[in-house]
Amino acid sequence: MSKLNSFLRKPFLVGPLLILLLVFVAGCSGSKDTPDQNKGANPGTDADQLVNGGTFTYGRPASVNSFDLHNQITSNNAFAIDKVFEPLITFNSDGEIIDWLAKSHSISEDGLTYTFVLRDGLKFSNGTEVTAKDAVFSIQRHLDVGGPLAIAAQVASLKDQDDKTFVITLKEPYTPFISELTNFSNGIIPDNFGGVSEEEFFKNPIGTGPFVVEKWDPAGDLTFSKNSNYWQEGKPYIDKLVYKLIEDDSQAINQLKAGEVDAIESLALENANEIKQGADTTVVTNGSWVTEQLFFNTLDEHFSDIHVRRALALALDREGLTNALTFGYAQVANSLLPPAIPYNTNDTIKALNYDVNAAKEELAKSAFPSGFSTKLLIASGNSTRAQEAQIIQAAGKSIGINIEIESIELASFRERFFAYDFSAMLNSGQADSPEANSILAFQTDPNGFSKSYWTHYTNDEVTKLLNEGQKTLDGTERGDVYANLQQILADEVPYIPLYYPDILKGVRSSVEGLVVLPNGSLRFEDVHLK
Amino acid sequence: MIKSSSLLKKSADINSPYRWLILALIRAVAVIICVAVAVFFIIRIVPGDPAKMILGEYSTPEAIESMHHTLGLDLPLWEQFLRFVQNLFTNGDTGASITWGTSTRELIADRAPVTLLLIAMASLVAILVSLVLATLAATHKDRLLDHLIRIFPTITLGMPIFWVGLLLILVLSVRLGWFPVGGVGEGWTGTLYSLTLPAITVAFSQIPTLVRSLRAQMLEVLESDFVVTLKAAGIPNRVILMKHVLRNSALPTLMLLGVNISYLIGGTLVVEQVFGIKGIGSLLFSAISKRDFPVIQGIALYCAISVVIISLLIEIASWWLDPRTKGKQ
Repeated sequence: MSKLNSFLRKPFLVGPLLILLLVFVAGCSGSKDTPDQNKGANPGTDADQLVNGGTFTYGRPASVNSFDLHNQITSNNAFAIDKVFEPLITFNSDGEIIDWLAKSHSISEDGLTYTFVLRDGLKFSNGTEVTAKDAVFSIQRHLDVGGPLAIAAQVASLKDQDDKTFVITLKEPYTPFISELTNFSNGIIPDNFGGVSEEEFFKNPIGTGPFVVEKWDPAGDLTFSKNSNYWQEGKPYIDKLVYKLIEDDSQAINQLKAGEVDAIESLALENANEIKQGADTTVVTNGSWVTEQLFFNTLDEHFSDIHVRRALALALDREGLTNALTFGYAQVANSLLPPAIPYNTNDTIKALNYDVNAAKEELAKSAFPSGFSTKLLIASGNSTRAQEAQIIQAAGKSIGINIEIESIELASFRERFFAYDFSAMLNSGQADSPEANSILAFQTDPNGFSKSYWTHYTNDEVTKLLNEGQKTLDGTERGDVYANLQQILADEVPYIPLYYPDILKGVRSSVEGLVVLPNGSLRFEDVHLK
Repeated sequence: MIKSSSLLKKSADINSPYRWLILALIRAVAVIICVAVAVFFIIRIVPGDPAKMILGEYSTPEAIESMHHTLGLDLPLWEQFLRFVQNLFTNGDTGASITWGTSTRELIADRAPVTLLLIAMASLVAILVSLVLATLAATHKDRLLDHLIRIFPTITLGMPIFWVGLLLILVLSVRLGWFPVGGVGEGWTGTLYSLTLPAITVAFSQIPTLVRSLRAQMLEVLESDFVVTLKAAGIPNRVILMKHVLRNSALPTLMLLGVNISYLIGGTLVVEQVFGIKGIGSLLFSAISKRDFPVIQGIALYCAISVVIISLLIEIASWWLDPRTKGKQ
């Protein structure tokens, strides 16, 4: 004891020792620079060395509390539903529509009749065969329920022409219909819920997807096991898929680093490079259907003035903002429509680019030539948005608009913007399907339930173009309609598109074949664990 | 009849332990009722609609309206409160969870064991570490070791508990791989192992005050006449320390631990979030972000009840151990 005492009395020894220990601990990490694995599906690579089986653990910030595909929209449930139920057609990692449960599909020339032919030998996870009757039942239930992703097309009839052929007839042409059918909410479930009650069915769901629910805690983890009746021969390669609930972001990142999970769903832009350079971790990315935007309440006394909105757009250096905040994982946005969606005009549109003098001139034309004070609403807990807000604040100051940042908790934030209780706010818009109408209708239709994404932006010309786009068959004519629409939005700026963020997933380097879809979901059927 | 009248008679005596006990019980019940009422109304003042939380941003007004009806949120506030009280008395429950559908009582019962185990482990770590540190400090009074140990609480009291947790995770789990980063392992040993770091983190917030109190108590006892007499009688220091000093100093510290129990519960809830432990704390966090009224109310109520019961038990225990403390809590 006395020896210890005398040792401790020599701080000149203890200090350096502590520092050495810290240096040792800090030095225990390596670094590397692996290329993004992206679009992961690469099942052909090293196929001989790949071993089947194993459990893939995926860290997610929210639990799954319902499998009712017609009543859900949030990603916490959607990204579990799409593992169990599959639609007739779907989209690939580039956002292109591909046949899925249907081996082929066709649309009549008048745009009214949609015919789908089912694959041969298609079975549900319980072994029963999938027929056109199941497709009729599934789409009919979706029509009956409506739900948050309701079928917008005017459906005249659903018919099982024979066991394998399913026909949908519309009352009037609605071009976005085909891409909307790729949505998870149009997944195929067994006719009459396979003979059990609706409640019982969604507790023990039966679908055609690569996985079946094995163990499910609605307030915790979810374990899937592989569907041995899956139609893609030999897939999935893994035996089990576990959705592990990790609500805290830093906890998720640490579990990924320590190898306790194989991938994490939510990875903030500022953490991306740290994970990318980790010894055993990497980042898988893909372009998304998301546009980060600054929204204006067009009912607000200041932002109802088009010159004010244009002035702020001109004062804002979007390129600088994107470069500063997104660490190379985003593209500057000129149009509302992300480049991953057909008919986007991001490269050709005439956007209001950074020009402070032009901004001042524009403000001079407004009802508030000498500036004014306003508030910018953001949800707390998102550091990127907080930084965006500060850059916007500085931009406003440069032309005499004094912006106060109001940062409030997410639930209250939503409450406020649903009630138009804001002047400007930061948020993102996301398309549900690879279709221009999706995000455009959501953000420009003042009569839709989203009231132009709660901006109340109203422009008859825009509404007319929107309706035209929905009825015009795919082709250059439809492209022109949407180009016009995007240009009007860029000129009138009910929202300033800031950037298109990539989808980022933190993944262990031992994972092969992970497919990131542009809606943020993952496909696990091609995954191998090394 | 005879029994109760004699109890009444006894409790009429101002110094009677029964009167004290009855008053303590009344106070406990009053606190719980106040908490129940506060919890019901406060959560409804906070903005955020549970129906929108369930249905998501893109929900239609009709869907929201029908969800309000399903959840009983379209009823007048007083009627919701009556239902809440009725449910509380008939089922011991605050209703079905809005987000997860299952009853709040079941959800809490599922999550409670791991939280209770964490509290128990944290208390054990806190007591053991405090005992060692306080004994070392007291027996080395005004020497370097004493100074170091006394600096320790000053530093640690300034550290936020979640930060301590993150630091431990970063060094001991991520870098060195000695402990799991988060979650609860399989089986008893797995559970105890994965709860070690969280328990140390929670204990960290308790140790400073415990060490201070225990050290002061021990110094007081060490300098008291009977210890001086024992020393003069030639009884070895170790025996005096273990047999007499510690025993006489332990009671106030145990009482302090009891008083700290509410902080301990609060600390545990935060630490669960940091370590990704699916206990009461993480349940509360998700429930708050989803405005899941029944679950928030249930957890707040059960936590309040446990704090009240534990305080009551400690009052009784300390009174039983040392009748001089009667009614002075």
